[in-house]
Amino acid sequence: MNGTAHSRAQVPPGVQCFVGDEARRRRRIEERVVSVFEGWDYEEIIPPLFDYADVFAGQALAPKTYSFVGRDGSLLALRPDFTSLLAKVAAGRLAQRPAPIRLYYSGEVLRYEPPKAGRQSELFQMGLEHLGGGPPAADAEILAVAAECLEALGVRGWVLALGHVGVFNGLLEGATADAGTLESLRERVDAKDAHGAHEALSAAGVGREVAEAVVRLTSLSGDASVLAEATRAFAFSPRALQAVAELRGVVDGLTAAGLGAHLALDLGEVRGLDYYTGLVFRAYAPGLGFEVGGGGRYDALLARFGRPMPAVGFMLGLDRVALLLDRQQADPGPAAPFAESVGGTDLGAALARARGRRAAGARVRFDHGGPR
Amino acid sequence: MSLTIALSKGKLLGGSETLFRRARLPFPEAEGRRLVAALDGLRFLFVKDMDVPTYVEYGVADCGVAGRDVLLELASDVYEPLDLGFGRCRLVVARRRGGPDPRSASSLRVATKYPKVAAAHFQRHGLSVEVVTLAGSVELAPGLGLADCIVDVVETGRTLAENGLEVVEDVAPSSARLVVNRASFHSRRDEVARLLEALRGAAS
Repeated sequence: MNGTAHSRAQVPPGVQCFVGDEARRRRRIEERVVSVFEGWDYEEIIPPLFDYADVFAGQALAPKTYSFVGRDGSLLALRPDFTSLLAKVAAGRLAQRPAPIRLYYSGEVLRYEPPKAGRQSELFQMGLEHLGGGPPAADAEILAVAAECLEALGVRGWVLALGHVGVFNGLLEGATADAGTLESLRERVDAKDAHGAHEALSAAGVGREVAEAVVRLTSLSGDASVLAEATRAFAFSPRALQAVAELRGVVDGLTAAGLGAHLALDLGEVRGLDYYTGLVFRAYAPGLGFEVGGGGRYDALLARFGRPMPAVGFMLGLDRVALLLDRQQADPGPAAPFAESVGGTDLGAALARARGRRAAGARVRFDHGGPR
Repeated sequence: MSLTIALSKGKLLGGSETLFRRARLPFPEAEGRRLVAALDGLRFLFVKDMDVPTYVEYGVADCGVAGRDVLLELASDVYEPLDLGFGRCRLVVARRRGGPDPRSASSLRVATKYPKVAAAHFQRHGLSVEVVTLAGSVELAPGLGLADCIVDVVETGRTLAENGLEVVEDVAPSSARLVVNRASFHSRRDEVARLLEALRGAAS
């Protein structure tokens, strides 16, 4: 029996249903993105819709994961993301394959999440993972692929905002503050609230040099000149300097390849600190108030599956791409061609004619008016 | 395309106008002010206090002026790069003057316009509370027996005193903040930076 009363037409919150032109639009978007992935020699992987829950454990997504008990009593979970599944395959079935391994996916993930700002419980993600390559080359590669996806989709004014978790983590290396204090500090840096960060730092008990540098993160965003400024400001922290140098390598490479105008530096990007280990980035474009996609480097994940190696990846959200193209009034491809009506009173002759027109490539609507 | 700025129609309106004029930024005249107004390269939306962060989070507005109290309640995913220095007030817990200390009660009913802030505050102190969400005139609730205490903003404390209430403890300080949409901040960097600089100069 149903838990709560609902009408026959009602849809549970967080899921969507697409019909006709809407579905066609989404399929076109997916085709374009996938053809870019293929073009950079990434291989498709179609992982299972659910797996053992511990595959996805240890992630920020854990509280949002739909899990259930299988017939044999094992705890299973609907995939809340693809990356863990790909890591598992790379360390398991593809264990003999030499690195780097380039994989892409396109499909739904499921998360227990109230619908908000383009987030649904059922999300369609198109993404790729570059497994076994370090910075700056692999980072620059996936950013170039992300750039080409946005170009291929006809998105206008897109920007890739780049940060590095080693900046914040490096500056606060050795800080003895408790997790709660560090989290409220991270949250204020994330909001670019210099005043709030300053207050949170006074509770963190760090030195003046560190405190000034962390407050500085709230304003270190903009063009590549931010990196030079950061190098001066973080001179005391080797780990933060190394992070800045890594970013510099990536930015120089992409700039030389003609993508400089699309890059933004954001050293105050401090989301996903416990998952990412290096580069983090988000793709933005005018018309959509939130990112259309993003990614980063996660060098610690593969070790969990027994094959330690560096890894970097990104994904685009299909719902967000569709919304963005809609807002920018960009056309994701031609509409369906006009359908020819083929029919007649003789069913066999009509079918033969329809098959003939189909063989010639026409879109056919079979209009046989015979008895039903 | 010009930047869109969401402003509160309520208590932060006067302070916003003063600040924008001091920063030599355009600001629509009060006379016959519309809910949407375009002026000298800026577009203004006048909305309810509680709605400003939502317009900005969704990117309908690029920037906005919102109270920290409202940002705490909504936990909006926006940048807050500037404390604008006006609209200063405190979020507090208040009770009937001389009443029992709500922090030592075994069960507690709290009336507020800030249900999430109130629940989080008492949970941090290990208290389970029943939150009664009201849209206004919260300070009436304890006297009428609707709640044991309230969580609300106070500026001078006069309204509390007039209703026979007193402050038990502070929850958080608040002031007006400039909030910026994440995508706008990066994809319209130069325009946003110019606005930020003008307001920073005027606010300091």
